[in-house]
Amino acid sequence: MPPRLSLQVHGARSRAFTIRAQLYAHQRCASTSAPEIYDVVCVGGGPAGLSLLAGLRASKATSNLKIALIESQDLQKNRQHNTTLDVFSNRCSSLTPASVKNLQEIGAWSHVNNARVQPYQEMQVWDGVTDSRISFDWSSATNSFAPHQPSQPSIIAYMIENINITTTLLSHLSVLSGVTTFSPARVESIELGQETADLDLRSWPMLTLSNGKTLAARLLVGADGANSPVRAFAGIPSRGFDYNRHGVVATLRLEGLGWGGEAHKIAYQRFLPTGPVAMLPLPGNMASLVWSTVPERASRLKSLSSEDFVAMVNAAFRLSTVDLEFLHTLPEGQQKEVAWREQHTPVNNRNIPMKVVSVQEGSVASFPLKMRHADTYTGERVALVGDAAHTIHPLAGQGLNQGQADAASLVRTIKSAVLNGQDIGAQLSLESYNNERYAENNALLGVCDKLHRLYSVESGPIVPLRSLGLKAVDMMGPLKGFLMRRAAGTG
Amino acid sequence: MASPLKHSLARPLVQSSSSCAASRVLLLPASQRFFSVLNRPPPNYEGHIPLTKVERGALAIGSALWSFRDPRRGDLIAALGEATAQPFFIDHLRNRMLLSPTGRRILRDRPRITSTTLSIPRLRSLPSNTVGYAYAAWLDREGVSPDTRAAVRYIDDPECAYVMQRYRECHDFYHALAGLPVFREGEVALKAFEFANTGLPMTGLSVFAALTLKKREWQRFWEIYGPWAVRNGLLADDVINVYWEEELETDVDGLRTRLGIEKPPDLREIRKAEREAMKRAKEAKESGTVLS
Repeated sequence: MPPRLSLQVHGARSRAFTIRAQLYAHQRCASTSAPEIYDVVCVGGGPAGLSLLAGLRASKATSNLKIALIESQDLQKNRQHNTTLDVFSNRCSSLTPASVKNLQEIGAWSHVNNARVQPYQEMQVWDGVTDSRISFDWSSATNSFAPHQPSQPSIIAYMIENINITTTLLSHLSVLSGVTTFSPARVESIELGQETADLDLRSWPMLTLSNGKTLAARLLVGADGANSPVRAFAGIPSRGFDYNRHGVVATLRLEGLGWGGEAHKIAYQRFLPTGPVAMLPLPGNMASLVWSTVPERASRLKSLSSEDFVAMVNAAFRLSTVDLEFLHTLPEGQQKEVAWREQHTPVNNRNIPMKVVSVQEGSVASFPLKMRHADTYTGERVALVGDAAHTIHPLAGQGLNQGQADAASLVRTIKSAVLNGQDIGAQLSLESYNNERYAENNALLGVCDKLHRLYSVESGPIVPLRSLGLKAVDMMGPLKGFLMRRAAGTG
Repeated sequence: MASPLKHSLARPLVQSSSSCAASRVLLLPASQRFFSVLNRPPPNYEGHIPLTKVERGALAIGSALWSFRDPRRGDLIAALGEATAQPFFIDHLRNRMLLSPTGRRILRDRPRITSTTLSIPRLRSLPSNTVGYAYAAWLDREGVSPDTRAAVRYIDDPECAYVMQRYRECHDFYHALAGLPVFREGEVALKAFEFANTGLPMTGLSVFAALTLKKREWQRFWEIYGPWAVRNGLLADDVINVYWEEELETDVDGLRTRLGIEKPPDLREIRKAEREAMKRAKEAKESGTVLS
């Protein structure tokens, strides 16, 4: 009995209907004459999936592969059309120099809408309980005795809207061409093929799409997000837990360009006991907020008027954790309360982000934070990339970059399989991808998880110890440089 | 006086300095600034005296020893309170106020308790079950006035200084609420209660004055008032968060129930009864000797 799975996109469907749909799909599958055969079928047109396909198309060895992309949303409709620089999407990511380098290598970066990308040169991170602080910039992270190198990098990362990344990759793919795109199309079911007179597809995943087409995949790539249907088909368990935290995102307008002006942008992150709150620079006076907090506080924040929400964001970087705790209990009127408390809370304005003056309408949203890691990234004729393989706490801004590194690694693996005349879908060929990425992602997941735990502690001996540790790292330039190179993906 | 102090306790506005290093030093609160006696920084509020760490330590030790010798020196006890409350304990007490809506209102309004802000004759005219009447009656019985409270000088943060001032001015209300008298035995019991409730080190140190109590008093402290103080201090709501000015016409028993405070046995009554018992015993003894 081959493993089979019916994919339910809408959870509200009744069971009976599901079974009927399954039967229908089965009959239709049997009645179709022959499936279309592809070398690579990628489910999911997000940054990781698109980066993988662009990489495959850009490399000479893999450019002859027959490639299909399945995306449930309309990719053309979801491209970025808006070009005014005072409206930004609330879903932004911080692309590391390594991710940008990869996008440059596959030729996609030339398509990026550069006006909407904001590089930043400094990062300020501090403890909300003790105020001990660490700052990251390349000039402070080098050995002061070593001679200054002109080639020294100055950029820590690039803030970019996720939609800008996908639009960039889609533009590049349309130039490269050669990818058969099914969009919008849902995957109705995935099951193993059958043996016919002229084809033995028993080990091949067969995908039935909502438009009635059936695809057979030599290699099925799951870039289909945290609830990956491909992962479910492959029977790969994904382990982890929910943080019981939500990430509140919003697009903000600040009172100025930032303390460093246009040429020296600064990212800020304050660790509060409920989770870190981060303010990341966007072009001009704009900034992107990611505030990890407990679900009750997240829903309180979302229910506030924009004046009170702005006051709360300003408070999150300025006021004591005690004041914040009280402010979250108020149904309204935070603005007045924060204005009063700011008079009695001494802060060095240069150490914290400039004041927020307004929040972009409709940009306040939240998502639950999870930690998940698939047991393996590969199976027979299956590979997982990006969120389908792992979900990370956003405190280090590494999730999207991990997906980009996965895609680049899988491209290298497929390329070497092609060059060596191997079956690109065989688990043996895919092994190097799993070896290259699993341990690294696992370490990063662990570090972010431990940081989250370390800073969730509100009192006790851990609090002064972590402050001491933070100060020590701040003073040790070379160690800081090492950490920064690791985070940038260049070390 | 409410208004001038309100201004003097208000934080001076921070000026942004062009030099980053200089502004970093200037913007540090006085408690974290390092200075010697030769370049004492300007006060953070009217009457503030910034102390070095050595001075603060010396003040704490000196005032502790001297007030142990002479517990009637209220000024020394006040100085001890200020010298030991910083840096941690007064912040902790302020945080307890910041977490309560009433506590926040007190911090925002910064009300002061003096004989001018509170009209004692009016309090005397209130019904006898009210907090205001109990307070006035307690003042009359003990023969004290609300005007004897010294201004806070050694707490660096203006808001924390106000918290200390508020604690000090409300001390008589705690007396009235518990019905404890001002002499040594009652004061020690109340200090124990305050220590359990506010966590200020001075109140805890003052409990050491129990060592100077007479044998009978010492016994009573261990049997009745000590356990009462610990139990009530820990279980009751924060007394610092009571807006006394608004509670003057509240039923005093109702307020005790709301805060979760039991009224301890009347110390003056117990002592009176004991004195009389002793007197009778003595008389009996004397008459006994005469008879025999």
